[in-house]
This record gives sequence, structure tokens and C-alpha cells, in this order.
Amino acid sequence: MAYVATRGGEKAIEQAERLFRQDLGTIDASRVETIKQTMPYLIDRVMGEASLYSEELAALALAQTGGELSEAVLVLRAWRTTQPRIAIARPVQQDEILTQRRISAAFKDIPGGQILGPTLDYSHRVLATDVLEGKPYAPPAVEAAAKPAPSRQPSLADWQRQQGLVAPANASDVAPEDIPDLTREPLLFPASRAHRLQSLARAETGGVLALGYSAMRGYGNAHPTVNELRLGEAEVVVRHPSGTEFSAGRVRVSQAEVTSKEKGGFLELGFAATFGWNEVKVIAAATLDLNSAEAPVGSPVHEEFYLYHTESVEASGFCIHFKLPHYVTFQSILDAMRDAKAKKAAAEQKPAETRQMESAE
Amino acid sequence: MFSETPSGGPDQGAMLGILARARPERLKALAETLLESMGEIAVLTNRTGLVMVPMRDTVENVDFHLGEVLVSEAHITDAAGHVGYGMVTGRDLERAMAMAVVDLRIATLGEEPTTTDFLSEERAYLVAEDEKRMRQVEATRVEMETF
Repeated sequence: MAYVATRGGEKAIEQAERLFRQDLGTIDASRVETIKQTMPYLIDRVMGEASLYSEELAALALAQTGGELSEAVLVLRAWRTTQPRIAIARPVQQDEILTQRRISAAFKDIPGGQILGPTLDYSHRVLATDVLEGKPYAPPAVEAAAKPAPSRQPSLADWQRQQGLVAPANASDVAPEDIPDLTREPLLFPASRAHRLQSLARAETGGVLALGYSAMRGYGNAHPTVNELRLGEAEVVVRHPSGTEFSAGRVRVSQAEVTSKEKGGFLELGFAATFGWNEVKVIAAATLDLNSAEAPVGSPVHEEFYLYHTESVEASGFCIHFKLPHYVTFQSILDAMRDAKAKKAAAEQKPAETRQMESAE
Repeated sequence: MFSETPSGGPDQGAMLGILARARPERLKALAETLLESMGEIAVLTNRTGLVMVPMRDTVENVDFHLGEVLVSEAHITDAAGHVGYGMVTGRDLERAMAMAVVDLRIATLGEEPTTTDFLSEERAYLVAEDEKRMRQVEATRVEMETF
């Protein structure tokens, strides 16, 4: 690939950026706060893809990019690199999550029960156009139960292991500082499970959905059923200089397990998780994980295929770089085209001349 | 980091957890009050940074990194070498410093009415907030029946 230096564009480039920013108007703290308060699921999506949990910064990124998601994620990832890593938290375990939504499509009677939580799953999707006619929409209050739901819910997979339905798993013995980390080392294939799940956690939602959906429609090895979907809040457990563990706060997380069929006497399970509440992403991502084991190379469910193609910054960056000047590359294509046309024209002219000469004789 | 044995015990952990989630304006106001009667304090650290959060996969028990959380941190000492530490999620250096001040005060003098009352009130507030939310969550419990 080749590029050509251009001159004379500096002023236009500056004005182009000004035009983009002018269209968005003045950005102040109040706009950022409004985005943060009113768009929690959008904030969650951006934080997950940026791999940076800060509702305030995600709202700011959305404000200054006008909601252009690729740009918002890029600016957050770039900002992340300016910050020191202070610590690695204690690994979050499923049964420690403050669970606010937990459902299973595979088992109706799961230990702890099924809790719908905040969802539009069973709602009519009707646009509230009355709001535009000056009638604000005030949601009806939830009729709270007399007793609170348990703050912690057991792990369904562990219960299934006890029933002999899911394959046993060894206890994790990797120290947090030794967990493979994609932000410090390259993604190589075959990827470690830690790399695969970290990559899916920060993957682009639309990309994961598209490839996961392709597997669901039949371009994979396994059709998923949601074993468990869980939305909740995880404690960020760090250490005081004295060594005491404490929670520095909570972050919203999503987890999904999907299952398909029996293999070797056990249910096959796929898993995915991400920052924020983004259940479409984790169900699609868990479907990709489920399908990975025997995926043909080059298929959408092969890990090299889906991990490379759902990395949001690389994918959007590669896509949009094609609009940048490629004049030398394209000029060479034009030269080749003109040369081929000239040769073809010359070849067509030669037999005609030959024919004329033959008839004259 | 988590392979070492903690030395502060569960009470200190619970106290720090309450301070980290305490209402910011109340926490800052308490720290301002306490500072008036505290001696010279050296600030070792007051910065924003990242905490990487790992999660355990439920299928193969593999720990993987979910992503990084923006935090604010403050680390202070007094002339006698007592340590105060604060870490809160989000970008609020004052809040982290206020937590460190209260922690230092408790490390120096033990709990006293001002701090004990504050911790008790904030704990009650946080428990009530959680209970309110989880009662709403419980209202969405569903019993599935097959026909």
C-alpha cells in the first residue's frame, strides 16, 4: 500500500474538524450529566467496548463525538493509556454478584429462582409519540415486594455440576497478576481461554451479534439455549496498605452461559461476560464461545475469525482508513487499466489494418 | 496480590467498604471537620488510575480480565507513621482524600463518636438503598409453568 503526500489541505482539515464540532455545539458538564443519567445502556455498551469503566468519561466521550460510537470507544481507549494501573482486583465470582436479573431458558426451576429484573422482554415496543405532543411519559412505580430478593444468587453451573450435568472444572490457581492480559501482550492463536474471554468482553457489540447470529442461524456447530443470563453489580475488591480487602465500589456486569447439546455425557456450555448491562452482546458472545471447539478455520465461529473481526478499534480503524488518500495505489490501478485498454485497442487495430492490406491486394 | 494474608480483619474491610460508598458530600464534610484537629499530614499519593477487574468463567473456572475501572486513590501518613488510605470508583480525588483522612483518624484514635456515628448512618443508608432496590427486583420474580 502506498500513500502520497498532499499539500494545501491544512486549512480545510482544520475547518472540517471545526464544522464537526460546531454541529455538536457547546459541551458542558450539564450535557455530560444528562447523557450519563438518561442513557445508562448506551453508557454500558461504550464502557464495555472501551474496556474502561467510568460512566462519567463514557458520557463525555459520547458528548464530544456526537454519539459516533467507534470514535467514542477510540477516544476512551486512548485516554485509558494515560492512566497508571494501580492494582488488580480480586476476581469476581458469580455467586458474589449483587444480582438483579437472572433467567434461564433451559431450566425453569433453578436454585434461587428466576428474576426478570429490569427488562422490556415481555413489553410491547411502542414509541411514546405523546411525549412529542407535550405529554411527558412518567413510568408507573414498581410495586415492590414485602421482602427483598436475595442479594446473592448461587451459580447455576455449579449446581449442574453437582447433578452431574456439567463437566467438572479444576479450581483456578492463577494469581491475578499472572492472568493473561490482552492490553499488555498480543493475541496469538490458538488463544488462551483468558484471552478469548477478555477479547469478547471488549468486543464490538454489533460485530459480536452479527457473528453470533450467523451461528444461531446455522453457520455454526451448535444452536444455543440460554442456560443462565445474569445482570448485576460486582464489587471492585482491592487492598488497603495493611492488607485488608475492601470494596472500592460497584460496577455493572453481564454474564451469559449458553448450552446446546450433550457431549461426552455432559452439557456443553459457552460463556461470556462484559462490563455494563448488555445482554445481547453476552448471549451472542457465549454462542461464539460454545461453537469454537470444532469450528472450521475461516468460519465465523472460528476464534481467529470472530476475535479479529469484533475488535472494535481495529475493525473501525481499518474500515475508515480506506477513505484516506490512496492516490498512488489507485493511480497505479488506473495506469494498469489504461495500459491494458491501449494494448487491447492496438491489438484490435492491427488485424483491421492487415485485412485492409489483404483486400487492396 | 490476593495470595497474601490480610491483616486488618473483616471489620476494617467493612468500614473501608462503607467509606468508599458513603455519600460523597457527607464524607467530605466529615473529613473537613476531622482535619481541624489533626496534625501535619503528608500526602504520599492522590491520583486517578485504573484497577483491572478479573472475573471467573463459570464453565472452566478460568480467570480472565473483564476490563479496567477508573478509580481515585489517596495515601497519606501522619508524623507518627499512621497510614490513611482511600480508594473509590470514579474520578473524584477529594472523595478519595476524604476517605483517607477518616481512615487515618480511625487508625490514630480508634473509632470515636463522630466517626462511629458517621459509619453507622452511612451503613444504614446503604443497606436501606440496597433493600429498596432488591424489593423492587423481588417483585419481578417469576414462576414458570409448563402446560
